[in-house]
Amino acid sequence: MDNRRTVTVQPSRLDRGTRVARLLSAARQGSEDALGQIVTELSPLLWQVARAAGLSAGDAEDVLQTVWLRLVAHLDGIHDSAALTGWLVTTTRREAWRVRAAGRRQVLADHEVLDELPASGPGSEEQVIVDDERRLLWATIGRLSARCQELLRIIAFAPRPDYSAVAAALGMPVSSIGPTRGRCLAKLRALLADELGENPR
Amino acid sequence: MLPDEADLPSADEPLDDADIGLLAEIRDMFAAADPMPAELPDRIRFFLAFRDLEVEVAQLTAEQDELAVAARGTEQSRTITFDSETLTIMIRVDGNKDGTVRVDGWLAPAQRREIEMKCAADPLSVTSDEQGRFAFPRVPRGTAQLVVRPAGPGETGRSVVTPALII
Repeated sequence: MDNRRTVTVQPSRLDRGTRVARLLSAARQGSEDALGQIVTELSPLLWQVARAAGLSAGDAEDVLQTVWLRLVAHLDGIHDSAALTGWLVTTTRREAWRVRAAGRRQVLADHEVLDELPASGPGSEEQVIVDDERRLLWATIGRLSARCQELLRIIAFAPRPDYSAVAAALGMPVSSIGPTRGRCLAKLRALLADELGENPR
Repeated sequence: MLPDEADLPSADEPLDDADIGLLAEIRDMFAAADPMPAELPDRIRFFLAFRDLEVEVAQLTAEQDELAVAARGTEQSRTITFDSETLTIMIRVDGNKDGTVRVDGWLAPAQRREIEMKCAADPLSVTSDEQGRFAFPRVPRGTAQLVVRPAGPGETGRSVVTPALII
């Protein structure tokens, strides 16, 4: 293993864990503000979970509201950031499936999201390069399995120390020792390396 | 030329900077392609704040604008009425010279209640008098919402919230 590439855990990340644990403790004691901070911090992640499950924007909003309300009833059993993130992702995904199974709205196909990507307009050369890279990355992600696409989309919005908990919540457990790359990221990197190797810029 | 197999990242390795960079890119892409509505967390926070109160949500039942001739000139004045199961809340909104607004209100049936104004700045709080009157002399313009609570710890009465309105 090449340890030089290993990312060390920054103190700020440890601080986040401590901060979230304190917010959870305050929320258990009825602090609306603490609960609100948790809502603001983690809703963007849950939005992606709900949307990746194929919900319309309106259904995704309803699901998030339900999930946060349910969290309040479960606060007593959740004491750290990883447990919180894992519980939220699991519950959001389940609730999203339930709503989808109820067949209330149309499923948003992945390619529709793809179409919504802003087209690159005229811009600086640097911007064009960024857009090209992004398009390549987007297309390459599209070649991964649906499960890997979902995992990467969700993991990308998760607090890094909670990656393992999120992967486990998605039914793709990674090493419990620390966040490992996992096969989805490994596959993505292999595909990207392949692309760049075949089409050198 | 394909990269050397040995250089390809393995699934069992710890995340490195390239992984973190890729995830940041993926996040940026989805944040652009499918952004969460910016005001959603605030809506959820509001919803949660009232979850376990015995809360009545008042409906806006009447609203009228009138031109009031005040000493300092002609001013727009709005009167808005909210009804809930147990309470009617009527407010009158007048512009202040400094760009803020004055909100005078009445509760019916008349009663002492703690009244909170959630607004663009920190929430303001007053208590209505025995006649059910209350006033917020200076409220910043923007979104505002009233929460009428029991006047004190020992007091009874259900809390009532109004919908948010623009003043």
